[in-house]
Amino acid sequence: MSSQGIVFNIQRFSIHDGPGIRTTVFLKGCNNRCVWCHNPESHEKKPELQYFPERCIGCGQCFSICANSVHAMVNGARVLKRDLCTNCGKCAEACYSGALEMAGRFMSADQVMEEVIKDKVYYDNSNGGVTFSGGEPLLQKDFLKELLFASKSQSIHTAVQTAGNYEWSILESLLHLIDFIMYDLKIYDYDKHVKYTGVGNTRILQNLKLLSETDKVFAVRTPVIADINDSPEEISKIAETIKGFPGLLYYELIPYHNLGASKYRHLGKEYIYNFSAPANEKLRLLANAASIHVKNVRC
Amino acid sequence: MDIPADYIPTYNERIESLRRKKVQFTERKIKTRGYFDNDDHGCIPWDEPIPFKLKPNHPSGGCYGIRCIGENFRHWLEVHPVYINPMSSLAGAWVCAVPGIGGWKPEDRPYHLYPLHKKYNIVYSGIGAMNHLGPDMRIGLELGWGGLLNKIRKYRELNRPIDTSFYDGEEDVVLGVQAWILRHVIKAREMAREEKNAFLKSNLLSIADMNEWLIDNPPRTLREACQFLAWFQSIDRMYHTGGALGQLDELLRPYYERDIKNGLETDESVIWHTASLFFNDTHYSQLGGPAPDGHDLTSPISFLILEAAHRLKIPCNLAIRVHDGLNPELLRRAITYLFEDGTGPSFSCSKGLDEGFVKNGIPIGLARMRAKVGCNWTALPGIEYCLQDVTRLCLVSPFLHAFHEIAEDPSEEKTMENLWEHYKRHLSTCVDIIKQGFDWHMQHQSENAPEIVYNLFCHGPIERGLDVAAGGVDLINLTCDGVGLATVADSFAATEQRVVKEGRLTWEELKHLLDTNFEGAEVQRLMLRDIPRYGSGGSRADWWAKEISSLYTRLMNEKPTPMGFNVIPGLFSHGVINRLGRDLGATPNGRFAHAPIAHSADPDPGFSKDWGAAPTAKSNAVAYVQPGYGNSAPLQIDLDRELIQDAGGIEAVEALIKGHNALGGTLVNINIVSKEQILEAHKDPDKYPDLVVRVTGYSGYFRSLSPEYRQQVVDRILSRN
Ligand code: SF4
Ligand code: SF4
Repeated sequence: MSSQGIVFNIQRFSIHDGPGIRTTVFLKGCNNRCVWCHNPESHEKKPELQYFPERCIGCGQCFSICANSVHAMVNGARVLKRDLCTNCGKCAEACYSGALEMAGRFMSADQVMEEVIKDKVYYDNSNGGVTFSGGEPLLQKDFLKELLFASKSQSIHTAVQTAGNYEWSILESLLHLIDFIMYDLKIYDYDKHVKYTGVGNTRILQNLKLLSETDKVFAVRTPVIADINDSPEEISKIAETIKGFPGLLYYELIPYHNLGASKYRHLGKEYIYNFSAPANEKLRLLANAASIHVKNVRC
Repeated sequence: MDIPADYIPTYNERIESLRRKKVQFTERKIKTRGYFDNDDHGCIPWDEPIPFKLKPNHPSGGCYGIRCIGENFRHWLEVHPVYINPMSSLAGAWVCAVPGIGGWKPEDRPYHLYPLHKKYNIVYSGIGAMNHLGPDMRIGLELGWGGLLNKIRKYRELNRPIDTSFYDGEEDVVLGVQAWILRHVIKAREMAREEKNAFLKSNLLSIADMNEWLIDNPPRTLREACQFLAWFQSIDRMYHTGGALGQLDELLRPYYERDIKNGLETDESVIWHTASLFFNDTHYSQLGGPAPDGHDLTSPISFLILEAAHRLKIPCNLAIRVHDGLNPELLRRAITYLFEDGTGPSFSCSKGLDEGFVKNGIPIGLARMRAKVGCNWTALPGIEYCLQDVTRLCLVSPFLHAFHEIAEDPSEEKTMENLWEHYKRHLSTCVDIIKQGFDWHMQHQSENAPEIVYNLFCHGPIERGLDVAAGGVDLINLTCDGVGLATVADSFAATEQRVVKEGRLTWEELKHLLDTNFEGAEVQRLMLRDIPRYGSGGSRADWWAKEISSLYTRLMNEKPTPMGFNVIPGLFSHGVINRLGRDLGATPNGRFAHAPIAHSADPDPGFSKDWGAAPTAKSNAVAYVQPGYGNSAPLQIDLDRELIQDAGGIEAVEALIKGHNALGGTLVNINIVSKEQILEAHKDPDKYPDLVVRVTGYSGYFRSLSPEYRQQVVDRILSRN
């Protein structure tokens, strides 16, 4: 009997989440709150109702189905009283236009693997495999372990994307099942890290150090956000930290994009910040700064 | 040509000049002839009247049978315009089909089948259809026009037929070609006299000398071989727009090797000659692939041909034949160009094709020779009459008959099993009608519309004095393509889920929805659409798709036509989904009445709003429903340039193609387009006069497609994940 986890997306033919063609499984739930996050549906470890008003055909099904009267008309305007919503998903099931959809669903490891295995022939032809991402996938460690184990037993290359904010023993206990790790290091400065991600980075840095002492191959990645961490000093400090790590395959700078703004609205959340993407010249400048310390810098 | 007298244009400048000319021609053709929903075909616009008068041989005013066709064809070639572009290394182009030739005598037409065709939406029955077989161009390259003429005369002598029509007709065509070439020789010399630029003058004189030789003699060099092929392409198009060429790299390789060894050509000049051949017309041809013994056919000239198509950047109909032993560099190069140009070669998949064809009782060595020489199809060069790509079976019409029978008759059991039984019966009737049509075609085709061009380039017709369709070649495999698989599979699954399992609708209610075309019932329509659809993988709709494909395959394949001809099924629409949808009512998958039905074996655009709608999902779905007897059910993939262009994109597309081949898929067509660009081009086609897209099995200028066809391409691209 396979265990259950909560998954908010499974993306096939993914080519930016590790080597080759991959299927990326996004596990729901995260213990960081990066202000620039473009996956707000990844935050909570529970299903959440999303509303896409442009798709609504006004059929009224949701009004009659919801026992909690979440869907209502107030002064002639359509409103969602989200505080009454239990995220049971019944209205989304009845909304055939796709205006209501649940972000996240409980799945067994077998169900996830049924999706993953579908693209095995493409992994084999491209040295690809499966990537577990999030949210923070390590927060569902038992579920993740089962998924990793199932993947390895099918000879599927495994990768994990993580932000490293948990007890080292959690990652350590799974290392033998992971072929490749993409580890996020977002901001070097502690206070700034707290300010923009909601958590400190001491444990994150420690875990990275411990990871570097294992025989694992990994990459370090930094999302670059204008006016937050896009200075050569900031990036140099991160690069200096990871300098000389034997297992480091590459260091990647990922330019921020603001595709997530509408997702906040669909979840009934507010997207307060409005960051801009770093210019290409800026990215090159940062990559140059990083390459003083580490060999293989990608951006 | 407006260039200084002593300037020698570089090879790239010559090719670029040809590209620009092609774009201008396309613009003029759209203006004078309207949109054309097929590939470019190489024909040139021509405004002046051509002094041709058809000499009919039938009270209806038509021209039927090989002698009359030969006579008129010859006369047409005697007056057909002469065209030479001094930037090309070759002469010739065609203007339009031989006027007045085509079709069947009224008394031979299958009137008895028309009511059945109407009942089952059989718009493309294949009866009376032309060409769609593969020539063996080595026959022509070895003999030349003079040699072909001698061959016809030799066998006329040997066989001494009572009715000499066959040889008369064939002889007339060759004599017509020779006369046409001669007029180009004269024209080239005239143009050379007038030409101020020394290079162009000498090029025109070379064209004249080369063609003077080619009137009677076989080609000796690569350039002459290209010129021979160009003449073939032109006359082939004039006669019912034939479009098959062959394994082009292998056809040209001996000339290339010899010319390089003798210092006659360089790789750059070879690229120019090949680009000039493509400027003349891009008949379908294949590069790479397995030889009969399995070794890969890729050679240096394969790369040069690919390079020529890449530099010319016009609609191109090359295919790379993917197999386990394919030169990895050729595949990589083709995909790289695909990324640069947005479209390029298609990828014909040997595993599914060869292993499938073997199941028709063909040894594997021979099966490997079946080259991709058509939009979606393959043919054995010069030895197989296969009538590919002209017969379509609408899979949706039998479903609608079955559904309405059950829903309307209270005594009918309202179950999926019963629906399936009725579907089986109607599909079986459709298959029988198609097969009867094939027999009718085989009985009357040669006396009405013989393959007067292909007969010259096949093994047997001249030797036997028989048209290819009348026993001229040994192998006859007739072909039918099913269309609309996804529409039917999703309709079965929607009925099963919403009516039978969940009871949200009764059969009568669903029938009412279809009869009223979902009027005022958008929720119910969306409910029917909102099921796990074909393509999502492992769904009921996927299961139904496989069942339907297997049933269709079995019915086509289990027994030959009443007269005994083998039939090979495929799944392919060639973009006729609007025409086939036009006369059909609404379907339970939420499709409105008269809307297009689904393409080939492709899942419907936007087949999964969930996490299934990836190219790999599509690839799996299409590989899973292959009929599997050596004919294709192509996979159409449209990728967003922005998503794919980064590092790893090329490798991913390569793995996708190899994966599809490994799963038994048969053909992959790929567009790499930017969403913004295609939307802009759809809004204002004039803004992108040279945007080339892969429509289905063929490429065309986006600008030249009718709005309906443009919409098909846009829908696919917008719906991708
Ligand atoms: S069920 Fe969906 S389409 Fe209908 S009113 Fe509610 S949100 Fe709109
Ligand atoms: S998810 Fe459940 S509680 Fe929330 S609005 Fe929908 S039906 Fe009501």
